[in-house]
Order: sequence, then structure tokens, then C-alpha cells
Amino acid sequence: MIRLILRRLAQAVPLLLVISAIVFALLHAVPGGPLAAYLENPNVRPADIARLREAYGLDRPLLVQYGSWLAAFLRGDWGMSFADGRPVLTRMLERLPATVELAGVAGLVALLLAVAVAVGSAVNRTFDRAASAVAVAGISLPVFWFGLLLQLLLAHRLGWLPSSGRTTFGDSSLGDRLSHLVLPVLVLAFVQAAAWSRYLRRALREVLARPFIRAARTRGIAERDILLRHALPNALGPFVTVVLLDAAMLASGAVVTESVFAWPGIGSLFTEALGKRDYPVLMAFLMLGAAAVVLLNLLADVVVAAIDPRLRESA
Amino acid sequence: MILARRIVHTALTATALALLACSGEPRRTGPTNDLLIVGYDREPDTMNRYATHILEDIESCVVEGLVTNDERMNIIPVLAAELPTLANGGVRMLGDGGMDVIWKLRPGVRWHDGVPHTSADVKFTVDAINKGDWKPESVDGFDRISSVDTPDSLTAVVHYTEVYAPYLLQFVRGTLPKHLLDGKDLNTAHDYDRAPLGTGPYRVKEWRTGEHILLERVPDHWRGAEYPRIKQILFRFVTNTTTRINQLKAGEVDMVALVAWDKVRELREVSGLRLNHVVGNGYEHVTLNQRHFPAFADVSVRQALAHAVDRELIVRTVLDGEVEVVNGPVQPLSAAYEPNVRAYPFDTARANALLTQAGWARGADGVRTKDGTRLTFTLITQTGFAIRENVSQALQQAFSAVGVEMKVRLMDGTTISGTWFSGEFDAMLHWWQMGADPELTLFFAGDRAPPAGRNINYVNDAALTELLYRSDRTVDATARNALLREAQRRIAELAPEIVLYNTAKIDAVPATLRNFTGNPTNAGPFWNVHLWEIGTP
Repeated sequence: MIRLILRRLAQAVPLLLVISAIVFALLHAVPGGPLAAYLENPNVRPADIARLREAYGLDRPLLVQYGSWLAAFLRGDWGMSFADGRPVLTRMLERLPATVELAGVAGLVALLLAVAVAVGSAVNRTFDRAASAVAVAGISLPVFWFGLLLQLLLAHRLGWLPSSGRTTFGDSSLGDRLSHLVLPVLVLAFVQAAAWSRYLRRALREVLARPFIRAARTRGIAERDILLRHALPNALGPFVTVVLLDAAMLASGAVVTESVFAWPGIGSLFTEALGKRDYPVLMAFLMLGAAAVVLLNLLADVVVAAIDPRLRESA
Repeated sequence: MILARRIVHTALTATALALLACSGEPRRTGPTNDLLIVGYDREPDTMNRYATHILEDIESCVVEGLVTNDERMNIIPVLAAELPTLANGGVRMLGDGGMDVIWKLRPGVRWHDGVPHTSADVKFTVDAINKGDWKPESVDGFDRISSVDTPDSLTAVVHYTEVYAPYLLQFVRGTLPKHLLDGKDLNTAHDYDRAPLGTGPYRVKEWRTGEHILLERVPDHWRGAEYPRIKQILFRFVTNTTTRINQLKAGEVDMVALVAWDKVRELREVSGLRLNHVVGNGYEHVTLNQRHFPAFADVSVRQALAHAVDRELIVRTVLDGEVEVVNGPVQPLSAAYEPNVRAYPFDTARANALLTQAGWARGADGVRTKDGTRLTFTLITQTGFAIRENVSQALQQAFSAVGVEMKVRLMDGTTISGTWFSGEFDAMLHWWQMGADPELTLFFAGDRAPPAGRNINYVNDAALTELLYRSDRTVDATARNALLREAQRRIAELAPEIVLYNTAKIDAVPATLRNFTGNPTNAGPFWNVHLWEIGTP
């Protein structure tokens, strides 16, 4: 197992290198650079733009820029944000807690919801039909639209919840924090649970059709135990892989949600940096995302191997 | 599956529309003099006024300039005791082609830490910018200053190596505190960038990244202990426009600066709000790139296109009548504004005649051609900006009526900036926000195409270029404005671009907020924040 992990980690290094080169090239291929904002500013003269290009090293060949970024990144230096001149790492760490809070709570809620709905769907056809309709809605809803809709309804028409932000100014109570979490969590969890419940439902149905379930029934095991103790654990293996891979996506899915709800996390930092073409921040964000996918993928393999004895032996 | 998706979408859209339609009572309690909450469209990168991007609203509450612009665009002294001019001896023209500007500072002004504000701070600011190892966003004018003398603590004599007409605005962004920043690397002076030491009515109490900046009033302000009246101002960052407007309606924020014109109508119904309207210092127009699309090089074609557009109709319908039609790049509030220029009223017959005379004949499909070339071009404009998308459709129809085919390509804001800078486009629908100084050289001089300037019409008229450079070398405001007026008349004759409307600035503020005036320039609506006060409704 340890050797498997080490081998996979070693494989991840060239993969991340290739990703970094592709991402760097793509970012720079998009027209408009970090100085585009200055072009609209009547106070910034053409000579200023030339001076800033040189000062930020944007006048060097792309390959040289990539080389110096990579060399610094490998040393653990994530560079300075073009926008405010502060270290990229500082800017990311400032935003991390808010994102972890939102994605963590939303992921947990989505997971519980997905398991409950999938189990319900497996045993009750009527419930299954209703759940399917809602799930299709959840999968097809544009997140920004759904978010604005909830804001209109729950915050503005009914006034039950704050429409956006992480706290109310001057109120540091737990209740206030939680009330701000409700709407963005609702949006993220609903969309995620919709996808996950569909996946788990299908896995459960496949397992329930297998011979060993019939065998269990003939032995007179209660239907409830068959479902929860025999079918569910067998269906969870592939499901865990999907959930862990989506966990990386959940943080990036929060890009839109965070922007709609003015949530001060890494996602809204990314949106902001994208508009400004703040390359050092964007590179750090995308590399973190790529690393998260690679690591969670590995984690998924390990977890599945641990759950499923057949895989454990072959590894 | 697709059908199910479509049904779900339809149902949800209907729900949303129903929700929008039913009118709820806004739960507006309103601000008090203890706290005013501003819904702000962006988080500043830095509070250093020399390194910030365009908008300086929050910064200007903290760091004051030697001068500022009032709501009528007049330059008024703030930390300066008076405006230096040729007439009052504050400006001396030198025999070697240079000039001296003598700034008299207002006595009794102290930085927030109690240290007096002096001419040494003015000198330090110039030296810090000219030393060259710091990255301020603009060094304009500073690059022509050879040195600063400080004969006494309240007098700074600024020596320019050449004539610099906009000298009055040189220190509009204030000064850097010498006693705090001397010997420091300004590129990494993050403490100053996040909470600058200023002389303004407010100081930064808290900057919570991604959430808000809280300003608190400074005790014993130089204007008198009674200023400012409002104790705290909270700038809450809400980048999503719809969310920002929703928060305003729900009373979660008290005011929003710069409301989009097509959002004004829905805010008019919200009780407790006042929509403050000022004429803007920018203009929406269609740039006609003569270099990239050679047909635009013919003045008859440009004039014909201008005549083809019913601007009054566009303003009335797309913009809800919130802006006014204008005829040139200098806006009505500017001292250099020339109202009597050639205008291009809506006249399809005239447009058709001009095009036919110029040799463009209608083809079988109605589109004009000349020597085998079709009169077909592509207009680029910003995506996600409903007004621009609608105006481009109106333009498309207007041009089609006179036999000109226009395609529309939408791009995001940053992409579009890069594109116009490269010159690779036929036409562009956009605005220029002009500087507080009425200079036009950068936009219309023949040698100021990118990267040397913003002349993206690529207009090259010798008489106009000569006039513009002459205006740059004229320090006397009256004489300079006369030259700029002549330049505006020349520009209107040339019709290098299709001028549409003035970019009016509309701010949504509490009805109880007194002394709010708005501001057309970069000084922004917070320019007189020390006077603001919440009154009784």
C-alpha cells in the first residue's frame, strides 16, 4: 500500500508539471493582460504602461516568464500578486477558511442528502419518481440563477435570511454566522446532492439485483438489514471515488456561488483575479486545484482498496 | 431528458418572474449618523492613491489631495491654501522653456498621527515617484519635474523642465507622509497600502479581505471638531451587480455608487432612496478604425453613418432617458466645453445621399459596394452589459437601413481592452472616461495611435494635431480652453467617431443623506464626505 502511494505520488509530479505548462500557456493566450485595466484609466499614460510592463517582467518572452515562475514555484515562492503587490500565499491563506467552511458544510450536507435520497429511491418507486424530477432540476440549474432566485425569495421577499456575505457587521454571534451559511450551502448542496444521489441510486439498484442479495433474502434477513448492511456498503465503493473527485470540484464550483453570495473565499478571489488577469494568483489557484484532484484521486483509490477486499489483494 | 430539462427551466423561470412581479414591502430602517453602509462594486487592490485603479472613493476619504474636483468639475484647493496661477504669481514661466509652480500649503493641517503636513511631504512624494524603483500606476507630469525646493514648511516650489498645462492636478492624489515612509521600500509597504496615514476626515479601522473596509471618523480634524458628522462608514464589497442592487432594496446596504442606467427604474420605486444624477465626464461612442477598415478613411462615409443613427430614440428606449445625447469628447461640465459644433441629426436621406456620392452603390442584397468591396464591418463591444448589447442591435438596424452591414462581436472587458490596444478591430462601441483635465491630444493627435496613445480612430489631421499640441503648451487656462474649443469644432467636422451620449453618473443614496452631490470626475462621490450628514426624513 505504501509503495502504491509513493509510486502514484511520483507519477503525479510530471503530470502537474505538464498541467502547469498548459495552464500557463492558456492563461497567456487569452487576450488582455494584467495591465488591461490601466488602458481605460485616463490618468495612466502610454509611457506608464510601457514602464509597468517592464517592471512586472511582462515584456520578456513567454518561455522565460514561465521558467522564472516555475523556478520560484518549485522553491516554494508563489510570487506577488500583480493587483496589490502582496504575496500570493498570504492572499490565498486569508481566503482559505471561508472556502473550507462553505465547501465543508455543503459537502457534508450534500453527502447526507444524497445517501438518504438514494436509499429512499431504491425502496420506494413513488419517492424515486419525485426524487428523480427534483434531481434533474438540480443537475440542470445554473448555479448563479438558482442562487439569485433563493436570494429574492428567502432574503428579500420573506426576509428570513441575510442575502449574502459571511457576517453581519457588528454581530459576531454563531447564529449570525450560521444564518449567512444557509443560502450558499443550500445552493451548493442541492446541486451536488442531485448528482450524487443519481449515481448512488443506480449503484444501489445494480447491487440489489445481484444474486447474493437474493440469497440473503432467502435466508430471511430483514429487508432493512439487506439494504443497509449488505447492499449499501457494496454500492459505496465506486461512490466514494466520485465523491472524493467532486470534493475538489466543490471548491471550484464555489467560484460562482461565492461570487453570487459575496462569500469571501478563494473562489471569489479567483473570479477577481481572472478579471484582472492576475497571473500569479491564477496560477497558484489552478495548481492547487490540479494538485487537489490528483491527491483526492489517489485518496479515492486508497479508500476503495480499503473498503473492497478484492482490490486490496490485487494491489 | 432534454424535454424534462426544458420543462423544469420553464417552470422555474415562471416562478422567478412571479416572484419579481409581486411587490414586497422593503424593510428599510435607514442609516444613522453612527453608521453608513455602502454596497461597493469592488475591493480595492491597495489604498495607496498612487497605485490604485481608477476609482479612489474609499481612498479619498482617508488621503486628501492638494486639490480636488467639485461636483461641477471645478478644481478647488484642499490641502493647498490657494490654486497657483500665472495671475497670482503661483506659476512662473522660465526662459529655458521650463516653469515653476509655487504651492502654498494650508496651515494647521496634521497627519492622523499628529505630525504637521508640510512641504517636505510634497518633496518626498516627488522624489519617491521619480526615484524609479517603485511601481506607481502613473508618473505623468512627475517625469517633467526636475526638483522641488522647500523654502519654508508651507511652501513647495516645483521645478518643471518643460511646460505642463495640467499642473494644477499634479497632486490631486495627495502626498506621501515623509516621516512614516522615508527609507522604506514602497513596493512592500503593505501596512501603509492597507491603512494609509492621511489627513482626511476618516481613517481605516478594519480591512477584512473579501468582505469590507470600515472607516472611522478622525477626532480633531483640521476642518474643525464638528467634521465629519458620520461616525463610521462601512464599504461592503459586493461584486455581483444584481446582488448589490438586491441588497440595496432589502436595506442591507444604505447606498450604492454608480447604478447602471437600466437598473435605475426598479430603484425609483424603493422608498427611502434618492437617486442622485450628475452629468458624467465620459461619453459613449462608436470608434471607427480607419486603419483596419479603410472605408472609414472617407469622411463622407463616417458622416453618413453618424446621420444614420437616431440617438434620441436609443436614449429614450434603451437607456430609459437617463442620459443625454452629446456631440463631442469634451463634456458639458468642463470649462473647455464647446457646445457649437457640427452635429449629425438623424437623417436617413442625407446618409444615403452621402454614401451614394462617395461611390458606394447598393448591391442586389441591399448592401452597398464600391470597386468590388462590400460595406460590411464588425463592431466589437463588451459582453454582459445589456445596454451595450441593445445599443449595438439598434445600430445594426440603423446602418442596415442605409445599406451598411454591421456584425456584432461580444467580448469580456479585459479581452476588449487588449483588442483595441492592438488595433485589430473595425469598430467598437464603448466609452472613454475622460480625465479631470480636458486634454484631447492622447485621443486625437495623429501620432498618438497605440501604444503611444488612445487614438484608435487612427484619425490623422495635421491642423487638429497642431492645435492639440499647442493647447498642451499653453498654461493660461483661458487661452488653453480657446484652443481646445477650436479643436472640438475641428473634431466634429472630421467625425472620426459616432458620438452617442454622455455617461451620466447616478448614485443611489438614502433620502435622508444631506450634502451629497455626486461627482463626475475620478474624485468620486465621496469627495465631500466630511459634509455628509443623516437628517430626519
